[in-house]
Amino acid sequence: MNPPPPNIGPAATRREFLKRGLKAGAGVAATAALGAWLLNRHPPGDFSRVVSRDARRYFGPSAPGPAMAIATGRDRAAMLQRALAAMGGMGRFITGGDKVLVKVNAAFATPAFLGATTNPELLTEIIRQCRAAGAASVVVTDNPINAPESCFELTGIGGATRAAGADLYVPGPGSFRSGTLPGGHLIRDWPVLDEPFSGITKLIGVAPVKSHHRAGASMTMKNWYGLLGGRRNQFHQDIDGIIVELAAMVRPTFVVLDGTDSMMANGPTGGSLADLKATSTLIVSTDPVAADAFGATLLERSFRDIPYLVGAAKQGLGTVDYESLHPVRVSATS
Amino acid sequence: MYHSNARVPGAGEKAVSACVLAVLAAVVVWLFLQQRNFDPAVTVATMGGPAAAAKAPQDLLRSWPEGISSMGAPEAFTPTSLSDKIDGKADLYLSAGFLSLASQRLKVAVGSAAWLEMFVFDMGSPSNAYSVFSSQRRPGAADAGVADYSYQAENELCLVLGRYYVELVGSERSEQVMHAAQSVAQAYAGATKVAEHADVGAEKALFPQVGLIADSIALVPSDVFGFDGLRDVFVARYREGTSELTLFAARRPSEADSAKASRDLLAFFVDDCGGKADEAPSGAGIVALEGRFEAVAAVGPYLVGVHQAPDRETALRWLGIIRSRVSGQHP
Repeated sequence: MNPPPPNIGPAATRREFLKRGLKAGAGVAATAALGAWLLNRHPPGDFSRVVSRDARRYFGPSAPGPAMAIATGRDRAAMLQRALAAMGGMGRFITGGDKVLVKVNAAFATPAFLGATTNPELLTEIIRQCRAAGAASVVVTDNPINAPESCFELTGIGGATRAAGADLYVPGPGSFRSGTLPGGHLIRDWPVLDEPFSGITKLIGVAPVKSHHRAGASMTMKNWYGLLGGRRNQFHQDIDGIIVELAAMVRPTFVVLDGTDSMMANGPTGGSLADLKATSTLIVSTDPVAADAFGATLLERSFRDIPYLVGAAKQGLGTVDYESLHPVRVSATS
Repeated sequence: MYHSNARVPGAGEKAVSACVLAVLAAVVVWLFLQQRNFDPAVTVATMGGPAAAAKAPQDLLRSWPEGISSMGAPEAFTPTSLSDKIDGKADLYLSAGFLSLASQRLKVAVGSAAWLEMFVFDMGSPSNAYSVFSSQRRPGAADAGVADYSYQAENELCLVLGRYYVELVGSERSEQVMHAAQSVAQAYAGATKVAEHADVGAEKALFPQVGLIADSIALVPSDVFGFDGLRDVFVARYREGTSELTLFAARRPSEADSAKASRDLLAFFVDDCGGKADEAPSGAGIVALEGRFEAVAAVGPYLVGVHQAPDRETALRWLGIIRSRVSGQHP
């Protein structure tokens, strides 16, 4: 005996078919409208999710010359002058019409003398030299998560920037774009500081030498952390990995590592003059890995003690064997 | 009973149905692939921002000492937002049981440009507060004579009061700033009631005075000697001749726990650090590691030992000292 055919109900009339079709269409339209209503076009971090751009920022130097200079002394401006002169002068890096972005460390609203942030006198000299070399504009920026205006003002960075005739860029919600580092595992579809890079032709990083409770040390490579937006503190779970990726993401024109006073303990915030040691050194380098490897010695450590330096060198992002760059050593003590 | 006009779907209808199902299946696969690459922004959304997480507190003191005034509203931070304020140092506090931070900037005097920033960390317990206090203590700092424990460095005053760890950081190194810091510290200590005060006198007494580097006794909350399985250990640094070494002691819940902690630490030095186990007296272990010596033992509920002794004999001698002191207090 054959099974009975399934009950599929009576055949619909044309009118019934149209009514059901309209109801189904209304249901679909309502669902779509609900989805559109719930869609967050401005997710936390306030960055566009429409297109995730290549996050790389490459501003490597074009003119040949020494890759590293190490100046000794106590006067930051004098040390910078001597170091840059030894590398061919600021004119080797900055030429007429360049638009320069200076990435400082303004992470904390603390006074400059505590050494947790970029020294304003050093910043002033960098801006002055960029201007003298013919830069069309100089913009200073960082992305302190907490109270950025206070950070720029209380560190003296804001005042120094304005006094030297540069522009201060304080990031806002619209300053970031979603970016992905090709081949990266962490910087993927992540908000990266974008707007101040518009039209920029040269990038200078300037950071103090500090111990860092999580990463071991905070120097020029860790300084790029400030280019990340969003809830970036989750990257602390893989602090070495994120610093290596940042080094792959950013190739500056050159970096300035300020070891005039190094924060030997309780970094990266410090808080006491007792945390600082007069190490009386300033490094200028086109290779941030080499600069930081030398900076590690100011903290009485080796590059081997700082995993992200080893990782960056393994990836070919620079050399920890800074002597192989034949750094020019100059004195600014007179 | 069947409807007389019942019919079987035709081939065209079946094809359309199959297409609709295929499209739905494709949507499911697409959603699955999208969610596999979990977007950090989703994590952002679920974590909530600092503004949502932090509750704005009142002024940190109801009334400030004479001449001192607030420069603005206090800020508040939770475990999820702490790194916004102190970046990489947040880990130090989080690993020690951090609950919340309130901070506020203060003018130190009328007409003065100098200021103080006051940080009040709620660490959940007096021992947690002492831990972050002692592990950051600045060498050579003078006792500030305030609260349970305190010290005063060139531009900074730090104290422990019960479960609270307080820092007062000056914008400059001056007598005026430090006078203000002292006034605020005393006012805070007078106005703040705590259920339990910090007292680590018994643990400090375990360490001998001879050779002790001043103010070097600290309670390390986590990752002691780089070992993530070792927490809440008192350490003290000693100088002997031109060498330095560290003694350590940590009370565990039971003798079995201290014995296990001893075995685990020795295994860490050998297996993870590449050390070489050496002959040791009964109940102890010795590991040679990168030209230095680690000595570990369990004494009752206490884990004790010597870290980075310059040679084997020195390690054994100091291990004997700390073992006998702990045995004497806890026979």
